[in-house]
Amino acid sequence: MAERQPSLWDIPADDLAAADEPSAGPMDPAPSAPVRAAPRILRVSDLNRRVRQLLDVDATLADVWVEGEVSQPSFPPSGHCFFTLKDASSQIKAVLFREELAAANVRPEHGMQVIVHGRVRAYEPQGVYQLYVTTLTPAGAGDLHQRYEALRAKLAAEGLFDDGRKRPLPRWPRRIGVVTSPVGVVWRDIANVMRRRYPLGELVLVPTHVQGAGAAGGIVRALKRIYGQRGIDLVILARGGGSLEDLWCFNDELVVRTIVASPVPVIVGVGHESDVTLADFAADVRAPTPSAAAEQAAPDLGQFPAILGRLHDRASTAMVAALAGRQRFLGEEDRALMRLAPDVVGARQRAAELVDRGHRALVVRATGARASSEALGDALRALSPAATLERGYAVARLADGTIVRDPGQAAAGDALQVTVARGTLATRVETASKETQA
Amino acid sequence: MTDSAAPADLAGRPFDELLAELQRIVQALEAGNLPLEESIELYRRGLELHVACETRLKDAELTISQLGRGLTEQSSGADEES
Repeated sequence: MAERQPSLWDIPADDLAAADEPSAGPMDPAPSAPVRAAPRILRVSDLNRRVRQLLDVDATLADVWVEGEVSQPSFPPSGHCFFTLKDASSQIKAVLFREELAAANVRPEHGMQVIVHGRVRAYEPQGVYQLYVTTLTPAGAGDLHQRYEALRAKLAAEGLFDDGRKRPLPRWPRRIGVVTSPVGVVWRDIANVMRRRYPLGELVLVPTHVQGAGAAGGIVRALKRIYGQRGIDLVILARGGGSLEDLWCFNDELVVRTIVASPVPVIVGVGHESDVTLADFAADVRAPTPSAAAEQAAPDLGQFPAILGRLHDRASTAMVAALAGRQRFLGEEDRALMRLAPDVVGARQRAAELVDRGHRALVVRATGARASSEALGDALRALSPAATLERGYAVARLADGTIVRDPGQAAAGDALQVTVARGTLATRVETASKETQA
Repeated sequence: MTDSAAPADLAGRPFDELLAELQRIVQALEAGNLPLEESIELYRRGLELHVACETRLKDAELTISQLGRGLTEQSSGADEES
């Protein structure tokens, strides 16, 4: 500041004259300078031109950075933008021409704190000096951080970021709404992750801008739109990495409130690992990146063939165990019959083979199911004592239920229960005599 | 072949329902307190579900749709991310 800050009034009049028409202009100083002359009467246009020239030769004014607040911006049909830049005590008119307006990544809004770069010139026809802005950016990160912190504290105090508000994600989402930009890598990444991991679902893209002027409003509209859809189980809001300014729309209060108001869980995946926006706090689940958001949205189906295989094995094991239990049970009756009917041995062997066949059939896949079920039926029928009884054999039991295998087990007069194919006979032993032949 | 063999009631149901039913069947079989005929019937049903699940996984294809019009060309450039 102190060093060589040229001020308008430091410029020697001669220099100005030289910058003007070379000679004899109306502004030429009188030839005899010290002599008091009659006051020069200038035309307005002469005056304004002189002011313009003064400003034009000032190196500082030709290249200034100014911070201030945008006031009353207007956007006439010309495509240019006119506004006033002001601080607490002063203001200056500013112009942002169409081309520069398009290049700026924000649209000037009333009350917006900005840093502009440009030059100061006088506009002769109106006798005003103004700032011709070449670049316009939101004011410094420090200020954004302050706003971020203030809003975060306010919304947190309302409880919007409470853990208790977080809803669990559906395990098997059918339709997933995705709010993001349709161009760029983010949407492509999300679709690829879902295609690879969870091709069962349906992705419903709601395209919107996720950066620049109006992005926050666009995100809010997109979210509300997806909320109105039937059958949406989950919403992903995503954007790639960027500067704090780029991600600013995710710190917008209305965006945060719209996320909180979602009827279904919302996963927010914005930027990189280190970028945490207020939208992230409001989300039911915060993912560090858009791809991670897609991964958290649904299970990886790649693990399910193995899971299905294990279920199949467990079912087969349970069936084999069930059959083995029946086999043991039947074995007791079977042993009783063995003494009565020598060919039970053969039947038992046949039954065992059938059961083995049944087991083998069980562990083959679906096509074996019916066959194994029939084989099991055959096996069970063969094992049953009923078949043997049907052939005319009988089982004799003592009163306590013991199966009689030896005449020595009973004495004359003992009650015997004789089971035949279709019923039971209550009898008494007349004589018990041991025989050598069955 | 697997498709035509699968019972009609499986075709229209979501994968997770089929899987859940299969899991219930396996648990019931493992509990082991069912009559044999019922076990065999459950086991058969389990195998059908197993085949249906595998088929569903094999044939799965992501559906993508879009809500609303695309963005206008002039503004879409602003969203390109590096």
